[in-house]
Amino acid sequence: MASLGRMLANIVHEINTPIGSILSNNEVVVRSLDKLQAMLAAPDTMPMEKVRAIVETCRSLAAVDEIACQRIASVVRGLKTFVHAGDGEFHQASLQDAMTDTLKLTQGEFRRRIVVETDFGDVPPVECQPQMLNQVFLNLLVNAGHAICGEGKIVVRMRQEGDQAHISISDTGCGIRAEDCGKIFASGFTSKPAGVGTGLGLSISRRIVEEVHGGKIYFETQVGVGTTFHILIPIQHARTADPPKE
Amino acid sequence: MGKNPNASVLLVDDEDMVLTSVRAYLTLETEFTIHTFSEPEEAVKHMQNNPVDVVVSDYLMPRMSGIQFLMKARELQPEVSRVLLTGHADKQSAIQAINDVGLYQYVEKPWDNAQLLLVVTNGIERSSLLRDLRSTISELATANTSLKDVQKRLLRAFL
Ligand SMILES: Nc1ncnc2c1ncn2[C@@H]1O[C@H](COP(=O)(O)OP(=O)(O)OP(=O)(O)O)[C@@H](O)[C@H]1O
Ligand SMILES: [Mg+2]
Repeated sequence: MASLGRMLANIVHEINTPIGSILSNNEVVVRSLDKLQAMLAAPDTMPMEKVRAIVETCRSLAAVDEIACQRIASVVRGLKTFVHAGDGEFHQASLQDAMTDTLKLTQGEFRRRIVVETDFGDVPPVECQPQMLNQVFLNLLVNAGHAICGEGKIVVRMRQEGDQAHISISDTGCGIRAEDCGKIFASGFTSKPAGVGTGLGLSISRRIVEEVHGGKIYFETQVGVGTTFHILIPIQHARTADPPKE
Repeated sequence: MGKNPNASVLLVDDEDMVLTSVRAYLTLETEFTIHTFSEPEEAVKHMQNNPVDVVVSDYLMPRMSGIQFLMKARELQPEVSRVLLTGHADKQSAIQAINDVGLYQYVEKPWDNAQLLLVVTNGIERSSLLRDLRSTISELATANTSLKDVQKRLLRAFL
């Protein structure tokens, strides 16, 4: 999961743009105040028009700062769900919220080239370990992003199907070659250069979905068209399969 | 630093946030005319009809990269000083591209206002020098041709 490191680098980059803006704006506001103060000391030295322009500029910068702070806050909110490694217990949690948080983390990497569409149906809260599922979602989203070379689209769907939640993540990426289809869940299998992939993402994801949650993970793919990963998670966790530990 | 009041600076970034901040700073500190574009295609259209002294472009943009845009800019106005604004992550590829577009400077994000101002001001100076040079050369060339004309006529008169 070296991609997590890469993801972090992207998050840093993502936060750097709004921070750059805020720093610059702060400097401009201070300089503007200097100019306005000088003008107050000698009222005739500056045309009213210029004064008004300076005030307007400061107002627009305050608006930019607000947007910039919201951007940073949303990335940080997304990160928070990963900070707690999980308490190993099952909670009722909204998978829609979990997915939304995870999508925030991929924004930086995707924004410029990948359109992400979400289609969340009415899925009741699911008894799960949300931090773990977040890891699965992140792995699948990062994989989808890597599979798309240049521009493309990722569609995230969520539905209730009987007593299960069905989540699917489709990409318009390169697809998976027939000879690789049997290997991708194996620990250590990667088609990515060293430093990009370690080949652990899917094997960990499968463990989390199938062993921890008693669900299922599978995929459909067509080379040159794209890939869809499906996850099924029981809405009620079957306690016999995994007795809660103290 | 209010010299060159007629200089025209073009900013291209898909982040409106960056455009607003840089524009506010340059407007406060200089008399330059600032044009901002979040779509490189629009900036290209602008450059087809309006002389520009400096273009500052983001590197990573959807549809058209900063490099592609700067190449277009060079085609349209060879003297324009081309500046790339890059995030840290893409610095390496940006440096590689310096030769492709005859980049004048690159500035890293988050940018330092004073440094950016210096780069823009020097860029304006540079492009106006280049323009002067070019017109001097073409004046010389014209002078040269008319000299040749005279020479030809003289020759014709004597031969
Ligand atoms: N959506 C996808 N489209 C195409 N190929 C995929 C997709 N998801 C996975 N793969 C293939 O499966 C391989 C294994 O994926 P996995 O997530 O386990 O490891 P990785 O992404 O290579 O590395 P990491 O450990 O960083 O996740 C990938 O290298 C890639 O070849
Ligand atoms: Mg992966």
